[in-house]
Amino acid sequence: MATLNPFVFRPGHSNLHYLDTRCKFFLVCIVSLSLLKANFPACFILLGTLIFFIQQINLELGQTLKHLKYFILFLVFIILARALTIPGDPLVQLYGISITHQGLYEGCLVAFRFFLVMVTGIIFSNTTRPANLKNAVQWYLKPIPFVPEKRVGIMISLALRFLPLILNQANETRNAVHSRCGNLEKNPVKRFIRLTLPLLKKTFLSADHLILAMEARCYCENRTDPEFKPSGKETLFIITSLGFWLCIQFF
Amino acid sequence: MAIPILEINHLTHQYPDGSDGIIDICFSVTKGDFIILVGKNGSGKTTLIRHLNGLLRPQSGEIKLHGKNILKDLILTRKTVGMVFQDADTQIVGDTVFDEVAFGPENLNLQRNLINTKVTQVLEQLNLIKLKDRNPSTLSGGEKRKLTIAGILVMDPEIIIFDEPFANLDHPGTQSLLSTIADLNQNGQTIVMATHDVETLMGSASRMLIMDKGRLVEDGSFTDLIKKLESHGIKEPCTCRIGRPWQP
Ligand SMILES: Nc1ncnc2c1ncn2[C@@H]1O[C@H](COP(=O)(O)OP(=O)(O)OP(=O)(O)O)[C@@H](O)[C@H]1O
Ligand SMILES: [Mg+2]
Repeated sequence: MATLNPFVFRPGHSNLHYLDTRCKFFLVCIVSLSLLKANFPACFILLGTLIFFIQQINLELGQTLKHLKYFILFLVFIILARALTIPGDPLVQLYGISITHQGLYEGCLVAFRFFLVMVTGIIFSNTTRPANLKNAVQWYLKPIPFVPEKRVGIMISLALRFLPLILNQANETRNAVHSRCGNLEKNPVKRFIRLTLPLLKKTFLSADHLILAMEARCYCENRTDPEFKPSGKETLFIITSLGFWLCIQFF
Repeated sequence: MAIPILEINHLTHQYPDGSDGIIDICFSVTKGDFIILVGKNGSGKTTLIRHLNGLLRPQSGEIKLHGKNILKDLILTRKTVGMVFQDADTQIVGDTVFDEVAFGPENLNLQRNLINTKVTQVLEQLNLIKLKDRNPSTLSGGEKRKLTIAGILVMDPEIIIFDEPFANLDHPGTQSLLSTIADLNQNGQTIVMATHDVETLMGSASRMLIMDKGRLVEDGSFTDLIKKLESHGIKEPCTCRIGRPWQP
């Protein structure tokens, strides 16, 4: 499963791996914000930077692009849609439909931005442990009133822990159904029910056990705060990214 | 006679649907005991065990921890009476081995430094330190079981309770887990264990409780009761039947 997904954590020793997760979170936000207004030169600068980091974390570019093939198809669709709908100087004209210069330019820019956001996301998730991600979310939620950040933290970590288990269970149930020729059933509703009922039952049962186990270990809301280990390079990264953002805002 | 840590007095529990869980159970646990609780399926072992740290409440009777009713201070009870459940997968909460062990101490709101030292110490004690950054769902069955023990041990319990710890383990897994548990007991840890695996525990356990249909029918030393197992529908270890003394 892990190999099919470019958004999984890969252990490593690059600068980004050691960067404080809160800082990385902030960087992702800044990059996404900058991209809203970025023009082509800015996008190319960012692309260069991202490629540098991709090299640093030893990500296989070809493999990653392969995983993203549907996403890239989607980008092509965006370019086409823009090129066909935005009015301007026609580049090609066929049967009354024209691809315009401006449209093509716009479409490429939008697709480029989308692509960069995607790559940023991939780099982020490849260098961040889910546990740290949870801690960072908890930290950002802390100052917001009426949000029980510790409970949210626990929920995220339980989801991270139990999603693979539930998927596994789903697979097992599907195999059990198939081995008794359940796949011959043509009615999709019946098929769905056959798969989900045992799965739900099992999931609720495990939830019961989980609650007992958490209770047995004194679970309460007033827990020790998570720990962060800044690497000391956070300021540099934050200042650079803010500089980039300001440049894009004003030039 | 040593002073008991845990005293169970006339404990009775009936499930809401009317089935009898346990009926009038009395016994006590003293420091250093290694008690095994045996009985047929449905004889009430799990039900009894879940009363010992207040997860279930009895209809009548009470449990005293150092002379005080355990329901008075549940946090203290659960810190003192640690419980390892049967299914390792549903009791592991953390997304790394380290976080999993830190879960209990975090609940007690201990200082972060103290937590880190304790967790590292326990992981070293159970030989899990190499796995500390692993995702628990990628561990083997035996490693998971050990991890659940680490998660309890880190809270310094006086008693550790196990519900069928050997279920689904292969022979090497069982042996390695047993030696971990036996080591703990040698170092003075009190242990109560519900199990079907009497043979494995020969030479390790000191006391045996036999349950039948919700009642505690025998309470005595392991060696005395081993002969009576068969009359309560539990298989007697074959090494005993042949009459050959068991050798470790
Ligand atoms: N949640 C429940 N609701 C109703 N009855 C229950 C419930 N849990 C257990 N029982 C009943 O209580 C009795 C004792 O069950 P318990 O799980 O304690 O047995 P056990 O000795 O642990 O069995 P096993 O060896 O199979 O684990 C059984 O008759 C069972 O059917
Ligand atoms: Mg049981």
